[in-house]
Amino acid sequence: MEILNFLFQGFAVALTPFNIMMALAGTFIGTAVGMLPGIGPVNGIVVLIPLTYALGLPPESSLIMFAGIYYGSQYGNSISAILLNVPGTSSAVMTALEGNAMTKKGRAGPALAMSAIASFFGGTVSVVALMLFAPALAKWAIRFGPAEYFALMIFAFSTLSSLSGKNLVKGLIATLIGLMLATVGLDPVSAVDRYTFGQLKLLDGLDFVVVVIGFFAINEILRYAENIHQDQEVFTKLGRVMITTKEFAMSFWTMVRGAAIGFFVGVLPGAGGTISSFVAYTTEQRLVDRHGTFGTGDIRGVAAPEAANNASANGAMIPLLTLGVPGSETTAVMLGALLGMNITPGPLFIANNPTVFWGLIASMYVGNILLLILNLPLVGIFVRILKVPGWFLMPAVVAVSFVAVYSVNNSPFDILLMAGFGLMGYLLYKMEFPLASVILGLVLGPLVENNLRRAMSLSDGDWTYLFSSPISIGLWIAAIASLFLPLVIKRFSAASTVADEMEEVELVEVD
Amino acid sequence: MTSHLTDRVTGVFLLLFAIWYGYRTTLFKVSFMVDPVGPKAFPLILAILMGVLSLYLIIKPDPSPVWPGSATWIRIGLITLTFIAYAYLMVPIGFVLATTFEVTALALIFRGPLLKSLVGAFILSAALYGLFDMLLGLSLPTGLIFRGWWG
Amino acid sequence: MKTKTFLLMVIALLIAALAAACAPAEEPPAPAQEAPAQEEAAPAEEAAPAEEAAPAEEAAPAEEAAPAEEAAATGDFTPGAVECIAPANPGGGWDWTCRSAGQVLSDIGLVDGAVKVTNMAGGGGGVAFANVVTQQNDNDNLLVAASPATTLRLAQGQFGEFTEDDVRWIGSVGADFAVISVAKDSPYQTLEDLMTALKEDPGSVNFGGGSAIGGQDHMKVMVLAQAAGIDPLTLKYTPFDGGGEAMTAMLGGFIDVFPGDVSEVLGQLEAGEVRVLATLTDEPMGGKLEGVPTAKEQGYDAEWIVFRGFYGPGGMSDDAYNYWVDALGQMADSPEWQEQLQQGGLEKIVRLGPDFDAFVRTQITNFRQLSQDLGLIE
Repeated sequence: MEILNFLFQGFAVALTPFNIMMALAGTFIGTAVGMLPGIGPVNGIVVLIPLTYALGLPPESSLIMFAGIYYGSQYGNSISAILLNVPGTSSAVMTALEGNAMTKKGRAGPALAMSAIASFFGGTVSVVALMLFAPALAKWAIRFGPAEYFALMIFAFSTLSSLSGKNLVKGLIATLIGLMLATVGLDPVSAVDRYTFGQLKLLDGLDFVVVVIGFFAINEILRYAENIHQDQEVFTKLGRVMITTKEFAMSFWTMVRGAAIGFFVGVLPGAGGTISSFVAYTTEQRLVDRHGTFGTGDIRGVAAPEAANNASANGAMIPLLTLGVPGSETTAVMLGALLGMNITPGPLFIANNPTVFWGLIASMYVGNILLLILNLPLVGIFVRILKVPGWFLMPAVVAVSFVAVYSVNNSPFDILLMAGFGLMGYLLYKMEFPLASVILGLVLGPLVENNLRRAMSLSDGDWTYLFSSPISIGLWIAAIASLFLPLVIKRFSAASTVADEMEEVELVEVD
Repeated sequence: MTSHLTDRVTGVFLLLFAIWYGYRTTLFKVSFMVDPVGPKAFPLILAILMGVLSLYLIIKPDPSPVWPGSATWIRIGLITLTFIAYAYLMVPIGFVLATTFEVTALALIFRGPLLKSLVGAFILSAALYGLFDMLLGLSLPTGLIFRGWWG
Repeated sequence: MKTKTFLLMVIALLIAALAAACAPAEEPPAPAQEAPAQEEAAPAEEAAPAEEAAPAEEAAPAEEAAPAEEAAATGDFTPGAVECIAPANPGGGWDWTCRSAGQVLSDIGLVDGAVKVTNMAGGGGGVAFANVVTQQNDNDNLLVAASPATTLRLAQGQFGEFTEDDVRWIGSVGADFAVISVAKDSPYQTLEDLMTALKEDPGSVNFGGGSAIGGQDHMKVMVLAQAAGIDPLTLKYTPFDGGGEAMTAMLGGFIDVFPGDVSEVLGQLEAGEVRVLATLTDEPMGGKLEGVPTAKEQGYDAEWIVFRGFYGPGGMSDDAYNYWVDALGQMADSPEWQEQLQQGGLEKIVRLGPDFDAFVRTQITNFRQLSQDLGLIE
């Protein structure tokens, strides 16, 4: 019961009025910056770091606020994803896919409410896990070498087929387009420049924000241009705001699984949010989507990635605090902030700084509750954004997109790129290529390639190295299972057609 | 009979792209010190896969989608033009003015009332500038033409 | 509903105005003689036309006292709205350099108002370099963070047509140091053990670092191998995504040696999870690395110092250049800067003006030679 003891100490820290204020401020700022696409928690934290030094805040208070910004922004991000189809980070792409489909059906309220509840659920479950298993999980993260990461990526891609819509080949082509876009820039392994055409600006590759804003936000604008004469408001009906108990009940296990997936994947540095929200979504699609409602506005399709998202944000704290390894840009900034307070994250962090660690854990419980009570009542207000007439709402989305895209590199060149990707996204969308697959390929491409190359470099080109550890073998088996599982399910449930089998074969060849 | 032209054209385009993409790998400047796999292998695999899949698309295309009419294409063209103009204008004339123009132009394309569009666009642009440049510390271009006044 | 929208906008505008009132941080991104008519408006100041005469708050005389004195001491330059470009995203070394130096410069009154930090990632600093040379060449109020990553890329010609002659090297104000680290259960107890193993079979040791092949971490071990008479090209080096991931890979037993920087290994070192075999420094280090010998002491003449410094645009006026050299010198001596260095885990190594310029050029020449020897460039 040592843990409970520590936890009580933690609550003693977290429940001081001042620290509650910090958590509240953090979640609020986080939600606000998260709503702005492409801005994200990094900017919020960077701006506040000097302030925390200047005010001489104790480390636990600063960390409580930063953590609040971090998970607050996870939620904020889903607001713009759901309402405007503008995912600001890669982890919100799945939320945009399903949540915006709900919005188009006039169910923006329940989508937002579910997002808040699932975020709370994922956050809370993962804090419990964080508290119980942090040191043990640090050891699990260390066991992931290049071969294991590569197997994990293969597993992620193996779940792709469920995203592909009607035509599997188009899903695969979309993924390939993403992977090809990912090869633009300086190859991080050998520093060879690829597909940059001498453009210095392309050396760092295509930024995710530029592509995703083009594919989603600009594409949305172009689609809006199709039917202007029909109605002036983008969405006429708003409908009910809260979710029903039935919706909650049917999403419950979805959230549990989403939180579990999110947490364990979030612990792995570098992989984090995108994979977890994506895998959580596709897993649910396979498990519970009996009537093919996923992708057309199924509330469980919002619950899964949102629970996973927030759980992975908490999971990412483990490598940060126990290894000193930041798993994402945000945790990298938090690492800098901690170092600035003379705290060195590492294996000794918990032992040396019990106040900070347990205060942070306790504050995460508090922060998640704050996030929920802050945001549930606001759902009704957020939804009203949709009441802004389309002729102004759509241009306003463009203006915010410009800020997001420009501030990636302070370069107007990126705005041209964004416009190009917007047109491309529109054409691909018209031809029913799944855009989420392109994004996934773009985000995971470097991870696939680099980890494969690292593994080969470490093993002097020995392919068996890829299957040499229990973890990687387990992931390979999971990948193969996920390819054939839908096939088996179909066999059992209904008559499977020859065409379906052929599609599965295609997929095997690719992976 | 339904048309399958769209997918066939796309397939041909993707095939040409795959060939070009694969060909480019031969132009990479690789020093003799690289990892066992090297920077060319992965793009080559992608090119081959893309080639195969694009052939499949040419052979077994889906029915063509319903493409919008010419009025829509004109609008899409106009919108894209405003984006390009914006990219070139924002540094010289500054974020606030450029964004005001952009938002107004789009609002007019979307058949908004002129005056309301203009006023709304200006307020929005100024608010965004204040929020991002001053509060969040991102530097947005002030505009070269204002350099003298702003000091 | 429309009224509500407008109301929301007005509120946003109010917030913006409030922010503007709190932090009058104007931002002219580009070249200019921003500093208009100070109270002692120096006539020599190249061109401060009458119509530029300052929005009111700029010319508030009281706070300007310090910089004005400074200007008197070093020439006719007074900093205006100062910008510092960090050629990478927030969170890295360059970002740290800009933010901490910017804060101290403004805290001790060498710059009036806040220093604006612009993150301009791309091409390992190449995008920022190109931007400075082509767009802001005469901006007297621009500092850009630099480190050996900058000089190494210049030496290897990775910034396209641009060279070290296109900018003015102002000074370095701190430094991180390279260390050779192994996991606690590694068979290598000393650098000698490691080098013996390498001499027997260079392929038997897996090196892994946070930068690409031919990048900083790789160069460190190649320099070391060269000093030991081992062919650097026979080393096995695997690049990871940043020092943190390389460290994790070493803890997991996937690589044997991580040639990182002091700041990257400190946490694990304290916990006893890693062992430092040698520092690549001139002198043995104190603090938590007390008692760790240098590579030189162990008979391998290899040194790698990760300086943190600045360059300015090539067209920067001499007055401005001298001002910044002097200002960085004063800043480096201030207690505030000591604190920043300590927080960042860095040491104070200061080189200024012509001294720094010469240092950078020597370093680039050496890097170039080395890269040629290693076959990285022609």
